[in-house]
Amino acid sequence: MGQSWDFRLVFSNFDFLVEGFIGTLKISSVSLVFGIMAGFVFAALRMSKYKVIAIPTSGIIEFLRMTPLLVQLFWVYFALPVVLGIKLDAFTAGAITFSLQNGAFFGEVFRGGIQSIDISQWEGGRAIGMRRSQLMRRVILPQAIRRMLPPLLERSFELIKGTTQMAVVAYGDLLYNSMILSARLYRPVEVLTTVAAFYLVFLTALSFIMRYIEHRFDARQA
Amino acid sequence: MEYQWQFGEVLVYWPHFLRGILVTLELAACLLSMAIVGGVIVGSARHSRKRIYNWPASAFIEMFRNTPVLVQIIWFYYAFPVLIDVQMPGFVAAALGIGLNSVAYSAEIFRAGIQSIELGQWEAARAIGMQYMAIMRRIILPQAIKRMIPAFANRMIEIFKATSLASAIAVGELLFRGEELANTIYRPMEVYTIVAIVFFVLIYPLALLSYWLEWKLNSNNGRPA
Repeated sequence: MGQSWDFRLVFSNFDFLVEGFIGTLKISSVSLVFGIMAGFVFAALRMSKYKVIAIPTSGIIEFLRMTPLLVQLFWVYFALPVVLGIKLDAFTAGAITFSLQNGAFFGEVFRGGIQSIDISQWEGGRAIGMRRSQLMRRVILPQAIRRMLPPLLERSFELIKGTTQMAVVAYGDLLYNSMILSARLYRPVEVLTTVAAFYLVFLTALSFIMRYIEHRFDARQA
Repeated sequence: MEYQWQFGEVLVYWPHFLRGILVTLELAACLLSMAIVGGVIVGSARHSRKRIYNWPASAFIEMFRNTPVLVQIIWFYYAFPVLIDVQMPGFVAAALGIGLNSVAYSAEIFRAGIQSIELGQWEAARAIGMQYMAIMRRIILPQAIKRMIPAFANRMIEIFKATSLASAIAVGELLFRGEELANTIYRPMEVYTIVAIVFFVLIYPLALLSYWLEWKLNSNNGRPA
């Protein structure tokens, strides 16, 4: 090994990495909120009675799920502005892409959860005179949410990991800032190892929290 | 302003796209073999009751599942070569980053498949005097593999999608070739639309396969024919 390890430089530039981490949190939270909203819309359209709505929606969902996020990001960031004649910054392009792709995944989670509820629950509710919206809110959703929660958390975890792809379009997330720093200091081993370790700690903690939420939710419902 | 689509102008560059597709397929093939071989090895170690196998395997799995795959690629491309003092082509760095990540996921699929087989099967086989390897090969794996296949088909989809990340370190796969072309002829809309469609065409058959496998598994009451 040519050079000795030196982590001091990394820690003296810690602010810059923290700034990147805030960028990661920003894009993650915005995409999560809009992604879940998009998921509701996708699920509702996909379950529509009208085939003219349901079939094209499922086509769009499949396309979003079965193409790489980075390709979609490039499409939104580099191609869409040319066609629409507007300017999109990296954050907006990222938020749109992440919300749409994860919305497609979330939508399938919502649909799967609702459709997993036995048909007799619908019939029973209807028999005692409940309306569709009432039935959905009081009978179906409380049961469905429990089944949706694990895949929902899993997908959110994937979303957060995926935000590193924002570095490719030069948005200042943690990965991007660490690449800039490692090039500036010429210390790739120290900087990138520190950042990888940080991601490991952060995501491990997050997965523990998610497991805890799941556990609590199960205990409360049982 | 009405946008003028010029697909014809872009499609004359088809050999350029084709070169990218070939590299994408090459990378996917490497990753797939890594995922299968590594997944079986790490998954077996993770399944083992001996701590000397179990702990390192668990640590490996947790480490690679709890870091973003792009961070792994970047680390293998920029940091690892300095550490071990060798040149590292982008293709190898991408194969290592995405590959080890996929190994971790497929190891969990492998372990879950084995664990889904009831203990009674082990006990019965042991009762008629079979050894561990024989039980694994003749009794457990033939049943477990069928249960692993749908999850593994999903893993293949993820692997295919992840190959596009290699463009971040300038591996000449499909997305990278598209980027080059878009920058040269300044037709990003057509180029990236073609890239997206090609990826969809490559990946969607795997999705159909996984839907079909899942349907088949469910319609047999969890006991695949």
